[in-house]
Amino acid sequence: MESASVPLPHGSGGHTAEASHHHGPPEANQSSRIDKQTLGILLFIVSEVMLFGAFFASYFFLRVVVNPVEWPPQPFELPVAVAGMNTAILVSSSFTVHYALEAVRKGNRQGMKLGLALTWMLGLTFLFIQINEYVHLGFSARTESFGTIFYCLTGLHGAHVFVGLMLLTFATIRAFRGHFGEKAEDHFGVEVPGIYWHFVDIMWIIVFFTVYIL
Amino acid sequence: MTYNEGAVFKWVLIFGVAVGSAIALTLLTSSLVGALWGLVLAIAGSVYGIRWARDWWQNARDRPGGPDHDA
Repeated sequence: MESASVPLPHGSGGHTAEASHHHGPPEANQSSRIDKQTLGILLFIVSEVMLFGAFFASYFFLRVVVNPVEWPPQPFELPVAVAGMNTAILVSSSFTVHYALEAVRKGNRQGMKLGLALTWMLGLTFLFIQINEYVHLGFSARTESFGTIFYCLTGLHGAHVFVGLMLLTFATIRAFRGHFGEKAEDHFGVEVPGIYWHFVDIMWIIVFFTVYIL
Repeated sequence: MTYNEGAVFKWVLIFGVAVGSAIALTLLTSSLVGALWGLVLAIAGSVYGIRWARDWWQNARDRPGGPDHDA
């Protein structure tokens, strides 16, 4: 296989030894204001906000423009209390993941492990309650446009929770293996899932308000 | 501005309080009032976001014409 070495410019004799060991494309530009890992997750979150925005637009179109006689249609009811409890669980999990990050910044590895494990369990509880709610709702995604948009919005969020749980799984396993340190560059594996988890929490608060309360 | 989990957590608290107020208003009054308050909050948030983005760009040293911009 041909090596992808960078051709040396004329007169760069002082860097010959270093450059001759370089293989592959040049290093990506590193901004002085934000590290690439944080920038990456923030850009991803922005794209996911656009995706949720499309689903919210659909929800409000159905509810306001189409304007059916009843919403939700009879005889269906939404379990607001159960969803409210789920909201409390997810909001608590944001506090536990924040605690985990504050702990690792102060060098408290036990606190980090505890925070991550608690966040993971709270997230799993949220998903379990959501799935249980789907089983007992009494309507499906094919039940009028209401059923479709309900399952689309909450299901999309549930998928994001699942992805967040996968990230937290990796972070928790690595935390218990002693991979993370106090410095910011030594615990990106916790910081990035933490940022994503906060996005999942904020999005659920908005979904809960829009779908269950309004 | 710092870009880390702590900054994002601050926004979790802000959203929590804001949407919490909309939830409380909806439960105490009606869906229409809650929706209108939610719309007010969304507009306020958008204005803040637009101003922040404009200030960020005006202060960016590597914008075209800025001191750190490589032509």
